[in-house]
Amino acid sequence: MAAKHIFVLDNGGFNIKAGFANNSEPRVMPNAVMKAKSERRRPFIGDQLDECRDVSGLYYILPVQKGYLINWDTQKDVWDYLMGKDCFNVHINTMSLVLTQPYLNFQSVQEGLCEYWFEEMECESLLTINPGTLSAYKYGKENPSELCCLVVDCGYSFTHLIPYVQGKKITEFVHRIEIGGKMLTNHLKDIISYRQLNVMDETYVINQLKEDTCFVSTDFNGDMAIAQKKAKENPYVVDYVLPDFTTIRRGYMRPKDEAGSGEQVIRMNNERFAVPELLFHPSDIGIQQMGISEAIVYVIEQFPSEVQYHLYKNVLLIGGSCSLPNFKERVEKDVRTMAPAECEVRINLASNPVTDAWRGGCVLTKDPQFSSQLVTRREYEEHGFSLCLQRFDV
Amino acid sequence: MNSSQRESARQKDANSRRVLDEAARRRRARKALEALEQDNFHDDPHANLVLSKKIPKFEESLDGKQTRRRKSKNFEIFKQRFRKSFAQLLEEEQMNRPEPPNYVSAQVPPSKFPERHFCAVCGFICNYTCLSCGARYCSVKCLGTHQDTRCLKWTA
Repeated sequence: MAAKHIFVLDNGGFNIKAGFANNSEPRVMPNAVMKAKSERRRPFIGDQLDECRDVSGLYYILPVQKGYLINWDTQKDVWDYLMGKDCFNVHINTMSLVLTQPYLNFQSVQEGLCEYWFEEMECESLLTINPGTLSAYKYGKENPSELCCLVVDCGYSFTHLIPYVQGKKITEFVHRIEIGGKMLTNHLKDIISYRQLNVMDETYVINQLKEDTCFVSTDFNGDMAIAQKKAKENPYVVDYVLPDFTTIRRGYMRPKDEAGSGEQVIRMNNERFAVPELLFHPSDIGIQQMGISEAIVYVIEQFPSEVQYHLYKNVLLIGGSCSLPNFKERVEKDVRTMAPAECEVRINLASNPVTDAWRGGCVLTKDPQFSSQLVTRREYEEHGFSLCLQRFDV
Repeated sequence: MNSSQRESARQKDANSRRVLDEAARRRRARKALEALEQDNFHDDPHANLVLSKKIPKFEESLDGKQTRRRKSKNFEIFKQRFRKSFAQLLEEEQMNRPEPPNYVSAQVPPSKFPERHFCAVCGFICNYTCLSCGARYCSVKCLGTHQDTRCLKWTA
């Protein structure tokens, strides 16, 4: 099967990563329909948002809730746009589709997906799979000597830990932490609105603020002490210039001693690392769950000791929230202190955590076994959803 | 003078203060968490928009319109069948897959480490708890801000 006849679609809760299997880069766009205050004429689908001049007060309609596909209407709008003439112009009825879906996806959603793609869109053949499985497959290809892999998928809706032993997902040990990028952005929005300026409506801007200024602390208590110092000897204080969408299109970070000329700024201090800290201590906002590092150790400890050794040295971080600076260093430091001393701890951050699963999907299509994983439309018409349930490992 | 009529300002203050009980505090905390799950804080900016019928609609072409309508009929039926809220999905899942691994069993357990507390006002590590509502604060200054702005006024 030629790679140009395979379309890989990583359907994330916030970003869609999509492209033909022979593309070198996926197209990344919001998996949402958005409405702007400034543009009353039309909603923006996916990356049509680039055409919007003023994104203040952007209103999101997301197809995915808590990580699971709920709003089919919106999802269809986004997919139609993606597959249509304006984007990829996919002739889906002669195509194979590799589609990701969340870990332990609800059966009803799985059934809906299969029915949608086979009956509505009449696609030639379909494979639905977890993003972590794609990344783990790619990792296995790149490191053929490694036997196991623990994928930590820290995305928008939640974080999952998925252990793979010899390429096989161990479903009973898949774990979920209910913290993701959305929680961080909303929490940041909350505290800024209380302390400085009401930005409750500005999810889009604050998400950029988070991506531009936040980082993961590797010594939380030490950094807290530093942040408590006066602005002069405090390296963490920065001013973030907010966009006004006339002269400033996008917010940016300005060193604290540089004088501005009347732009609206938000002064960031301990927020910069206290917000990402939620990933490592969800209990800070009252979510009684383990943080990422503790959960990594918890998941690995459920395996027999000879497997543990392999898992500790093959932890793979994927998902958008892993792009926060120092994320890997923090996980490494934490896991090292908790892991048995004789185990080697190696944390790998995907070169591009957002698109890694998509890339894994492209690598998978070159596998000689790939076509046997697919369900063709003819098979679906013959056996129905039960075959998909059997063949797809979700 | 009768001693029972004497009043202590401090005691009176303490008695008149409304103190939230444990249940109310938990309810507040849950509401705050639910707020963190929201996609938008504000309402749809186009909700009350009345589109003038005179505005020409450029995008629709005749044949494009027809195929769209044909598809959308099937899709309507499809949508009806799969329209389920998250709560419904979760309930259905518990019927279908009562044995682990499922959605509920995949959740990580609570942390072994003690909870840390941060000042609700400035975000630094703190030692004190507001008597009325249970929020944390680090200094008299922050307590003042808290009482002026959030304590018992806060509706998250």
